[in-house]
Amino acid sequence: RYCCSPATITVLHAFVFVSCQTAFVVDEVSTIIKESVEGAIGGNAYQHSRVNQWTTNVVEQSLSQLSKLGKPFKYIVTCVIMQKNGAGLQTASSCFWDNTTDGSCTVRWENKSMYCIVSVFGLAI
Amino acid sequence: MEGTDTGGNTYLIRPNYHHKFKAAVVKECIHDILREQLSGVQYDPDEVGVLSRSLADCIKDKLKDVGFDRYKLVVQVVIGEQRGEGVKMAARCFWDADTDSYAQDIFMNDSLFCVAAAFGSYFY
Repeated sequence: RYCCSPATITVLHAFVFVSCQTAFVVDEVSTIIKESVEGAIGGNAYQHSRVNQWTTNVVEQSLSQLSKLGKPFKYIVTCVIMQKNGAGLQTASSCFWDNTTDGSCTVRWENKSMYCIVSVFGLAI
Repeated sequence: MEGTDTGGNTYLIRPNYHHKFKAAVVKECIHDILREQLSGVQYDPDEVGVLSRSLADCIKDKLKDVGFDRYKLVVQVVIGEQRGEGVKMAARCFWDADTDSYAQDIFMNDSLFCVAAAFGSYFY
């Protein structure tokens, strides 16, 4: 006969609570990325001499905001900035991870002269 | 409690040197796959979605075969048309620099360019 003791039930509840707090929340991450991109390159036109600095700023700003969330995740942030001149671009990713805890989020941003695509991958520890 | 205590903790929380995510080995794998699959290929907007997905899956499967068990893998492939536009790609990672690493390679021909990056993160 199996009997669930009160101690077991408490442990189960704690587990559910913790996993809600520490899941990869796509909306939250997406908001952070959008703000980082806006802050770093919003209102600028594509300039070859500055694009290095821009990509660095976008990823560093995103990463520092993500780490401030304090969740037990490792993050990988990639950013592609491309000048608009009619060319096509495609990104794809393939991941070997734990579907229940890990996640990714891709944000596409554009203005009149360039596209910016930021991908974030969150891997639970 | 009775029984043999067959000594010690065997669960590794750090990979030993032989099982580390070796950037050079991974770069070689990526290089071979890109060369093999993209030589002579023209940029075709209808096909490129399928092509990039299949490249990413192919690279990921190859890395799984190489044997980085205990590693979570993320492979990202970017394919773009060559029209003289300026492109810049950057990545930053928030991880454990001791155990985690990445490798990337670039392939270019007259009509397209392709960047493939593979990230490996140790699962404790």
